[in-house]
Order: sequence, then structure tokens, then C-alpha cells
Amino acid sequence: MELLKIIREPAYLFLMLLFPAVLTLVFGLAFAGIPSGIPGVSQFEVMAPGLYAYACIFIIMVVAQAFTDDREQGLLERINTTPTSSSEFIASHIISNTIISLMQVVIVIILSYALGFRPDNGLIGFLSAFIFVVFLSITSVGLGLVTASISKSSGTATGLSFIFILPQMFFGTFVPLTSTTRIIAQFLPSYYVTEALTAIFNGAPLTDLNVLFNLGMIIAISIVIIALGILIFKKYGNK
Amino acid sequence: MSSATNNKKNSDDFSESSNHNAIVVKNLVKNFENIVAVNDLSFDVKEGEIFGLLGPNGAGKTTTIKILSGLLNPTSGTAYVGGYDVTKNPRKVKELIGVCPQQAAIYKFLTGRENIELFGNLHTMDKKELKERTNSLLEAVNFKESERKTKGYSGGMLRQINLLIALINNPKIAFLDEPTVGMDPRARRKTWEFIGSLKEQNKTVILTTHYIEEAEALSDNVAIIDYGELIAYGSPKELMEKYNAKNLEDVFMEITGRRILEGI
Repeated sequence: MELLKIIREPAYLFLMLLFPAVLTLVFGLAFAGIPSGIPGVSQFEVMAPGLYAYACIFIIMVVAQAFTDDREQGLLERINTTPTSSSEFIASHIISNTIISLMQVVIVIILSYALGFRPDNGLIGFLSAFIFVVFLSITSVGLGLVTASISKSSGTATGLSFIFILPQMFFGTFVPLTSTTRIIAQFLPSYYVTEALTAIFNGAPLTDLNVLFNLGMIIAISIVIIALGILIFKKYGNK
Repeated sequence: MSSATNNKKNSDDFSESSNHNAIVVKNLVKNFENIVAVNDLSFDVKEGEIFGLLGPNGAGKTTTIKILSGLLNPTSGTAYVGGYDVTKNPRKVKELIGVCPQQAAIYKFLTGRENIELFGNLHTMDKKELKERTNSLLEAVNFKESERKTKGYSGGMLRQINLLIALINNPKIAFLDEPTVGMDPRARRKTWEFIGSLKEQNKTVILTTHYIEEAEALSDNVAIIDYGELIAYGSPKELMEKYNAKNLEDVFMEITGRRILEGI
């Protein structure tokens, strides 16, 4: 149903699919010609792993808006009068929104490739990166559920979702980190994905200890946040 | 208040004597912090009956429906729907019921048909049965715009789809909360005919409304509630005879000294 919504609602289509595409194009055109300081590597190529992570975290706002909209229109309550349990309903939303989030990442991957981004380990690198973005997408859906639960309206949900989006955007995706901001970033899920993706795209295998550590972190974070999101939403957000 | 007490007593006697009640409500209480929304409410609804739950805005009608459909837990008292306790077996209750909420709860990016079928799917209906049932419901109300997105529907059309969604699972018991609010008189009459036809299918219908003529035209029995309390119970004819009134509005006036529509 969420996929149908993308096709039917032009504003939603823009937000979900075109926004990450436009962002990648803008960053590509702006930074592809700027040297990064690493010989033969442009600033855009340094930022690309962070862009993949950024494409995932935007789903926080979409999930928060979708659930608050449904609640405001009495749809959640109506669904609760059917034998479909709220757990089944939430699970279907988690799956569909994770798929949408991954679609956003695929768009960013294709566009960044078109703009000249070539990771050291080619297709393997992209496939390895995908494992990380799956867990970051699940984390973001969980944060969206938390946002929806504490928001009274979809307008509030949009504002509150930036509490989770902005710190990750500035301290855990495409913005270069200083020693101070790195400390903050370590509390953010996207940091571990960006770190791992940067290593993978520079040739590190999945079995690399640092990559494995980051994978373990994002898996653990995604499990905790999605469980928390479901619990809070069932208790406070489903009414 | 003595008549209300007598009516309540009658309803208690009835619930204990009959084995064919679709709904049994006993001493139901629902408090929201300091507000008593439902106060010691007791009534029964027979199988295949259209039962009108009347009262001014804020009387406790919607709260009662929400408890009966498993959306709210009562503070105290019991409620059985289709023989199942709503607090102990809410899933069983939800398999039996269809709920038409007061607010038209519809996905605007879906067509009328898609909305109906979506809720059929949530009731885990078989695909073929769902298609047939959707077609028959749309035909029954002569709804011609089902393939269009509901975003462009008029208020009356949204209300019709809202009602059809409640009936997609062919429920034994249907809760219709103000189903005709916002409809023009012609659409309202058509909807009355449709609701009346549900009785022929032996469905139990609980109709909350503050349109007295609607309740009079459709209901076998009515319960009038005010401030969450049952103040009258019986068939419209019985109540009008008992209070020597021309209509149910006058019955309410006689009992409470004010009009049902005052609160709107």
C-alpha cells in the first residue's frame, strides 16, 4: 500500500524518491570536480558513502508522517476493529518502508555511479554496503515509529523527526568529522554505517575487523530501536 | 429517574432470560480521569435486531461503541458481543463485527473499491469472495464512482464508502456510528433503506444517531442515554405510548426536560 501511495501521490513521490536523487545530483555536480586531498579522489567520492546513509535516514520523517496521518484520519483505530493485530499492521509498515528506503539507496547508488563514483571493490563493495543500509533503514523506521508515538499531529511529526535526522545528517553522513564531532557521532546509528561503507569502498573486505565491529553495532542498534519503536507505538501511538 | 431505573431493571431481566442476545451489556462504566463517560449502563440487543442508541452529543454513545468493538477497555462492568467477552476475547469479537466510525476513515489515495477491498483483506477474506462481496455492496447502494480516488468524493460519497467498508466482511453484528451525518436528505433516505435491508439478512445492527426520525424509522428497540446513563429502553412505539409522546424526541424531552438535538 505504501508503494501504491508513492505512485499515486506526486508530493510523496518527490519526497520519497526524487529528493535523494536531486540531492545526489546536486552534490555530484558541486563536488565531483573538487579534489579531496587524496590523490585521484574527488570530494564527491569521499562524501558518497555518507550520501547512501543519508538516503536511509530520511525515511524517519516519512514513517512518522504516515502513521500520524493515519491516526488523525481515524484509520489506525478502524484497523484496530479488524482481526488484524496492531503487531501485524506495524510489521507490514516496517517491511514496506524498509523497501522504500532501500529503493532510495539504489537510486543514490545508480546516480553516484553515473557521476563517476567507482568503489575499489566494485560490485562486491556495493553488495556489502547494502547489508549495512538494510539495518540502517530498519533503525530509521524504528525512529519514525518513536516520532509518530510522541507526535500529536503530522505537522508535529515532521518537526520532531528532524531531532533524529539533523544530528545524523551533520555528524554521521556526508559532512566531514572533526575530533569533537566524532565523539557526538558515535552516539548516532548512521556513523557506524558511514564508517563501514567508507572502509568497504576503499577496498576493505566484510571480514575486516573494523567493518565487522560497525556491522555488529548497527545490527544491535537496529534491534534495540525497532523493538523500542514497536513498544512505544503500541502503548502510546496506536490510539 | 424512576422510569429509567425500571427500564434498566427490565433490561437486566431480559439478559438473564434470553439465549439469543447478540450483545449483553451489564453495569458498564467508563471513566476518563474525572469524567464519567459511561455510567452503569446495562442493555441487551437481540440477534437480527436493529438497535438504536440515542442521545445528545457527549452522551456516551461513541464510547459505548468503542468498548463493544474492543477499542476501549471498560473501567468496570462486562460486555459480551456474539457471546464473547470484549475484554477477554477481543479478536473473536473483531471477527464477528463491522464498524462504521463516525469520522469517515478512508485512504484518500485509494479508490472507493480499493478502500473496501483493503479492509476485506484485513479481515483475511478470500480473494474471490472479497471481489464478489465488494461488487454486491456497491450495487446495493448503486455506487457508480468506485474506480475513482476517494480524494475527489463528496462528503455523502465518503460516508457511503465508510458504511460499505464496515459491511465488507459480512459481519453478524454491525456498529454504525452516526452513519448518515453529513448526507443530504435523499442520500440519507437511500442509506436508511440499505440499513433496513440488513435486518432481512438477519444482521444485528447497533445504530447510534442523534437523528430521531432515523432511529424511529429503523430501530426495533432503542436505548436513550444521557450523561452516560440509560434513561429509557424499549421499542419506539412502547416508549411513545409510555410517555404519551408524539415521537422519541418528545420522550427525551419528557424524561430530561431538554431536547436531544440541543447538544449539536
